[in-house]
Amino acid sequence: MKWMQFLTPAKSMGFKEIEAMIDGAKTDEIIILDVRQPREYQRGHIPGAMLIPLPELPDRLGEIDPQKPVLVY
Amino acid sequence: MYNVSGGIKAWQGKTAIGPQDLGLDLFSGRESAEEIFKVAYSLEGGLCDFYLSMGEKARGSRVKSLFLKLSQIEVKHQLALLKAYNKIAEVEVTRDEFETMVETKAMEGGLTTDQYLELFGSDPDSQTEVISLAMSIEAQALDLYQRAGARLGQSEAGNILHGIADEEKNHLASLGKLMNEI
Repeated sequence: MKWMQFLTPAKSMGFKEIEAMIDGAKTDEIIILDVRQPREYQRGHIPGAMLIPLPELPDRLGEIDPQKPVLVY
Repeated sequence: MYNVSGGIKAWQGKTAIGPQDLGLDLFSGRESAEEIFKVAYSLEGGLCDFYLSMGEKARGSRVKSLFLKLSQIEVKHQLALLKAYNKIAEVEVTRDEFETMVETKAMEGGLTTDQYLELFGSDPDSQTEVISLAMSIEAQALDLYQRAGARLGQSEAGNILHGIADEEKNHLASLGKLMNEI
């Protein structure tokens, strides 16, 4: 388990960096995590994004593979 | 952990729409690898038919030929899926035989033609809007295959869906190039 990633501040990345990261990886190598509310997700999300609304996140952390990089918005 | 600076508002790429379970009924999780290829083939076929029918409605010859080109691209995707199917199937089948085994319920991304038209009210006579619509559909397809793949996890079916999702990502990039060419 990469525990350090849960203990260190998240690095902010701009659109270009994020796009390059997504384009350079296979779809199952990165987790794109959408923490908004379902209605916001429904209106538009990054393709392949997993929805875990922020209020549910503490109880659903187990659904996130800690071995993979997570892009969160 | 990486924070997408500016959130979804700063995202300039294509987005997918709909709830997290949209289209997932197409993949119950009980399908064999062969059946997944059949569903994916049918979705590509639905999109091909959609482009052909849009081409008939379009007025300009350039847009008509663009729709034809897009439909031909979908046929290529179908042939790639048939090839992948034949690699794992016990009995190899021809394209005609395979087509009798699949049923078109929806287009790529898990939406019907009418749903797409309603959601992306595009002008069928504008080349850029047509490609933009195609990119939206590919983004929707990429989204569906990734969500379905994530739900099935590290299984043969899940890995196949992720493989198809990777292909969809390439399709999206190809349409981006096509957009730059017109």
